[in-house]
Amino acid sequence: MVNEKVLIKGNYAIAQAAVNAGCQCYFGYPITPQTEIGEYLSGKMQELGRGYVCAESELAAINMVMGAVSTGVKAMTSSSSCAVALMQEALSYAASDELPVVLVNVMRTGPGLGYIYPAQGDYNQAVYGGGNGDYKIIVLAPSTVQECIDLTYRAFYLAQKYRNPVILLADGLLGQMMEPASFGEYPYPEVDVSSWALTGAKNRDARSIYSVAREEKKQIQHIYDLHKKFDVITQNETTFEEFNIEDADIILTVFGSMTRNIKAAMNVLRKKGLKVGVFRPITLSPFPHKRINELASRGKDFIVVEMNMGQMFKDVKFAVEGKVNVDLVNRPCGEWLSVEEIVSSVEKIVEGRKQYAASV
Amino acid sequence: METNFILAGFGGQGILLAGTVLANAFMLEGKNVTWYPCYGAEMRGGTVNCEIVVSDEEVSSVHKQDTDIALVLNQQSFDRFVNRVKPGGTIVSNSTLVSDSRPRSDINYVFAPMTEIANKLGSSKVTNIVSLGVLASASEIVSKEFLERAVEKVLGEKKKELIPLNLKALRAIEDVCLV
Repeated sequence: MVNEKVLIKGNYAIAQAAVNAGCQCYFGYPITPQTEIGEYLSGKMQELGRGYVCAESELAAINMVMGAVSTGVKAMTSSSSCAVALMQEALSYAASDELPVVLVNVMRTGPGLGYIYPAQGDYNQAVYGGGNGDYKIIVLAPSTVQECIDLTYRAFYLAQKYRNPVILLADGLLGQMMEPASFGEYPYPEVDVSSWALTGAKNRDARSIYSVAREEKKQIQHIYDLHKKFDVITQNETTFEEFNIEDADIILTVFGSMTRNIKAAMNVLRKKGLKVGVFRPITLSPFPHKRINELASRGKDFIVVEMNMGQMFKDVKFAVEGKVNVDLVNRPCGEWLSVEEIVSSVEKIVEGRKQYAASV
Repeated sequence: METNFILAGFGGQGILLAGTVLANAFMLEGKNVTWYPCYGAEMRGGTVNCEIVVSDEEVSSVHKQDTDIALVLNQQSFDRFVNRVKPGGTIVSNSTLVSDSRPRSDINYVFAPMTEIANKLGSSKVTNIVSLGVLASASEIVSKEFLERAVEKVLGEKKKELIPLNLKALRAIEDVCLV
């Protein structure tokens, strides 16, 4: 029964997956295009005797999540772009506090209030963060409704395993669309939180969770420790997906729900005789720098396709260390680039490179 | 093979539900399918639409510029989407609310009085399901058998009492001659 396919919206899929993952508390404030997550959980959590608060603001919601996860339970909030901007201070605190906060961002258009159309303009906000200080967040980017489920499971697991905030970076298209998906069962083991969770000091010494060490030496060590932890995360948890990479001359690089269009464009371009592959980071942070560098060392050029003004583009450029060409095909927001648009943009870039090569 | 549909009508005509039933039918048939609604600052009485893409392979794109088949339940939707039908494609219209005009010669037209048929069945609310029956008659790719199973699945236990009327609505068009 759990493996039965159901036709479900991305937002509902994320909400039900959170329930399956054992999320005990949800705190949130409505905003399009993710309101269905809160709507679904408002009923479901009550039914299950779990916690649900429609908070007075996004700021309150994320701080409530911090409070809840401090006690060792799984908790989450969800929001969208301009409202996630309000949560940046808390994310910096949660990273320093080493709290397993799970935040779902169903991206819409920015900057400012923006609009409710899908976009991918929060790559930088999620990966590099808008909070203060040297902190890192784990960022997972689903590309299908099935992955909304799988990566919601993974978000709860990684958050507790590494005591680090995790952002699930979806987008309005993924949140609003339906496609067949199956939930299965939560596939990860439960993480033991007894060594740090604030559960009351009965029969043990009191504990506290601080974001600051108060002594210079300790603060320096704290930051080193946080980054050492993220090195381990990078080593263990960096994931990506590749299609037709082996013989490819050009690698289209993409994240999130645009992947579908890119794979279709790859098939069209291959039929036209261009050796094209697709590379998709699943973890945007940790970013698969190492793998991209390896591919660049084998002389494969990159074309990054994204719905923003070139945010992941910079990470790919950084990763290839100048070894190969990296170009950008993009649109800031609105309708996703169509397969035809991607095909003709890639053809133009390839033609431009040929002409340049002939001229030098 | 990949086929895409746009379903459109007034808010309140049940167009998103019709799309959900259609997408479920394709899923039950074992095909890859996506459903994507227009969403935005919509209001009751405004137009609403959803796109369904069905494919034997992975769906190439959820949201497309043009469509193979359009199902339109009101005049505004006809006017808006008639030019987005691919040459050789089909527009299926609710002739109760859409006047019989054929502005293009490179597409096929199907007109059926869907609201009228629904009223005869006892409820204009089943116009959306009547329209799916018409769609199945007009397009080989839509199977009435799987639509029936999808109606049962979507309405489910909670709205079990509505299943017989909706199944009747699905078959209602068989008694009417399409023009």
